[in-house]
Amino acid sequence: MHRYAARVLSTALVCGLAWLSPIAARADGACPTPRQMDGFKTCADVAKAESEGSFVLYSTDPEAGSEAELAKFHAMFPKIATNYVRLQAGALYAKLSAERQAKAYLVDVVQLSDISFARDFEKRGGYMSYVSPEMAAYKAEYKSQPEGLWTWGAISMAGIAYNPNLVSKDEAPKTWKDMLDPKWTDSVTVKVSTSGMQHMTWYQMRLLYGDDYWQKFAALKPKAFDSYVQQFDRTVDGQDKVIDTAQYSGYLQFKAKGAPIEYVYPPEGLVAVPEFWGVVKEAPHPEAAKLFLDWFLGVPGQQGYGETLFYNSIRDDVPAPAGGVKASQLKLLFPADWDAFLKTHTQFVREWDKVTGLR
Amino acid sequence: MPLVVLLCGVLVLYPIGFLINESLNVGDPSTFPPEQYGFDNYTNLIDDAHILGNTALVASIATVLAVLFGFLQAWILTRTNIPGRQRLERLMELPYYMTPLIGALAWGVLLGPKTGLVNQAWRALGSPVDLFNIYSPYGIAWVMALFEGTIAFVMISASMKSMDPSLEESSRVLGAGKLRTALRITLPLVAPGVLSATIFVFAEMLGSFAAAFVLGIPGRFYVVTTAIWEATLSFPPDYGRAAAMGLSLFGVMLITLTLARLVLRHGTYTTITGKGFRPREMDVGRMRWPLLGIAWGYIIVAVILPLGALMLTSFERFATVILPQMHFTLANYQTALQMGSVGPAFVNSLTLGISVATIGVPVMGVLAWIIYRSRMPGRGVAEYVIMFPQAVPRLVFGLGLLWAWINLPIPIYGTLWLLALAYFTVFLPLGLRTIAGVVLQVDPSLEECARVCGAPWIYQMRTVTLPLLRPGMVAAWLLIFIASVRELGVSIFLMGPNSKVIAPAIVNSWLSSSSELSAAMALIQTATIFVAVAILFGLARRVTGVTQ
Repeated sequence: MHRYAARVLSTALVCGLAWLSPIAARADGACPTPRQMDGFKTCADVAKAESEGSFVLYSTDPEAGSEAELAKFHAMFPKIATNYVRLQAGALYAKLSAERQAKAYLVDVVQLSDISFARDFEKRGGYMSYVSPEMAAYKAEYKSQPEGLWTWGAISMAGIAYNPNLVSKDEAPKTWKDMLDPKWTDSVTVKVSTSGMQHMTWYQMRLLYGDDYWQKFAALKPKAFDSYVQQFDRTVDGQDKVIDTAQYSGYLQFKAKGAPIEYVYPPEGLVAVPEFWGVVKEAPHPEAAKLFLDWFLGVPGQQGYGETLFYNSIRDDVPAPAGGVKASQLKLLFPADWDAFLKTHTQFVREWDKVTGLR
Repeated sequence: MPLVVLLCGVLVLYPIGFLINESLNVGDPSTFPPEQYGFDNYTNLIDDAHILGNTALVASIATVLAVLFGFLQAWILTRTNIPGRQRLERLMELPYYMTPLIGALAWGVLLGPKTGLVNQAWRALGSPVDLFNIYSPYGIAWVMALFEGTIAFVMISASMKSMDPSLEESSRVLGAGKLRTALRITLPLVAPGVLSATIFVFAEMLGSFAAAFVLGIPGRFYVVTTAIWEATLSFPPDYGRAAAMGLSLFGVMLITLTLARLVLRHGTYTTITGKGFRPREMDVGRMRWPLLGIAWGYIIVAVILPLGALMLTSFERFATVILPQMHFTLANYQTALQMGSVGPAFVNSLTLGISVATIGVPVMGVLAWIIYRSRMPGRGVAEYVIMFPQAVPRLVFGLGLLWAWINLPIPIYGTLWLLALAYFTVFLPLGLRTIAGVVLQVDPSLEECARVCGAPWIYQMRTVTLPLLRPGMVAAWLLIFIASVRELGVSIFLMGPNSKVIAPAIVNSWLSSSSELSAAMALIQTATIFVAVAILFGLARRVTGVTQ
């Protein structure tokens, strides 16, 4: 009887555990038994992904870098062809929104470099819910709530950069406040109001130094550019001396080419914005899209991303891009309240257009 | 005939309808269709008065320069007997082959303040200040004139090629000098071509984006197109303001077109009559060499200098004009050629260029004939409608096309078919204006004669009208082919993952990768178009046995 009771009890325990384990997995969000691949885990049906044969990525990343990254994935899964469309964030989102409104589904995975677009896409139900097993390596604040819609595939950071041929190390700004020095008049560049990174810098400096920080900065007559490439080109060429809101990946890229450029890590911290990656709802190749996202969020994809585009991974087990410092070793300025940050966007655009002479 | 007009009208007005609708949207810009309507986007244009003023200033200067350069070069290369004219004519087209944004980049390398190559040379001679500042309204107008001026040159050339030289010869026999003959005889006779070119180029300048984008922003100088770019790409996107700004430019276009129609109505410009003639050039005697110098001078400034600057940039490890810090490499060409999307993008662009030009030009020829020759009711309105896409900046029109075509239950979104249809729509004004200049030179009595002899309309078009319009049609084909290959604004929104074209790839590279890679890609693009044009014209010569 005791033996029978023990058997019943043990069977019930095993069944209970078996029943509970998917719940535990569901609590994490990922599938119960992810498949271990070469360097990452996946919940995608690999055979089905291969039979789908391809997937499409919409991205704002540089084209050559995106191709190199996709080629790494294709090398691991040669039966899955990769394709992409690369546009500026605003143009990409206009295209994506129009496609979804017309129910024209061409894209499987989307990368958005601006939280405004990512949040809007989430609000409109654009993301498919897929919890990648690799998301376990990302802190809760780096993922959507609920988990599985978007994840920070990388972070882009910005500090100050200068041309050492024109500005000595002693003369160079050391802090964000040093950027208000009148000696930078007519020789400083920033980004335009369409830049999510610039919005973040504007927001953080107001928190640190008050509302009049940018009024003082406007007196320097800063020149605003769409792209970090223009900012670095002009500074390296001596047309300008200092870059305010200098993209870190841009600095690493120019430094690697041997350009005369130095970087300042202000003690207040580097301004940081995330890149949002997720699978699109109604994706025409859902399994291939999931497999790619797993690979991308895993170590192989993240490492490749750093190598091809000089972006910093938010994962602790991924090295910094060549010549750079790991994000975890830097002081980063993120908003404590993302909603409060987003609410300032209209005010930012209006004020920033005045600072840069558009209005 | 009415069917052709109707079809083209629908192609233009259908996306315009979406733009007008959006320009009246005063609610959530991301909601489609709009939930709140009003005129705020138009009344708020008062706040952008300085931007409209900047646009008018730059467009006017650039148009005057482009038409002046175009007329002078067209006259030298088509009406005089200077040596090597055909080769020079091909070289004149080169700036138009290039994505304008890259052309502006090249001029930044040459005339940028402090470090531009020309300014460096000037300072090396002892001057404490720069000779030029390309980041100014005049700099923008200069670059626009050089890169869009090719259109003026090709349009005016087409008119000059259709001119009976005996009229100029009569003037010379009666004692007029060469300059007087050019001003009193040649210029009035090619007035339709010049006016057509002026209208078109002015509209092109109003909607020109690249030069103002690259050269205006560093000087904190904004025009309508750069303001539209910022409004469209920000979040939330201000499509309403962008559409209102874009559509407001049509008002300016309307006035210009009406003035041109009034001028043309009060003159007679026929130079091709029943009297037989062979187009031949004027012997300019010893003036050949100074004129050759002017032609080559323009080629050096407009073609060789910017191409040289681009070539220099394309071989650099990082773009710089400071000589001691230059490091050279072939890596940019290697990267450009290794990019998997570049090859198909080139093939797609060339396919679109050839097909849109080949199918489009006969249709546009018929349209030009209907508007300027037929008595069809409403033909005047048709001209205004067809000119619409030229007046609205391409980026805004591209959005209109996206909204219009994606909402039709025809599965062509994301395919080359849609891009072909869109290119045809946006290049209707280019084809119409190029051919119109020549249509007005053909004496209607020739066609009347064919009809009196019993020829049906189709036969008359095939045997009389179209052969006489050949210079205009060839010019239109060339312009539409090149314009299609370098098209950007519409392509951004309509290309799909399997229908990529080359211009967005080059501009994307400049915006997100590097100037040196963009320069390499732009030079590959220029060389490809150059070779393609040479092959196509060679084939055409072999097939038809005629030279253009």
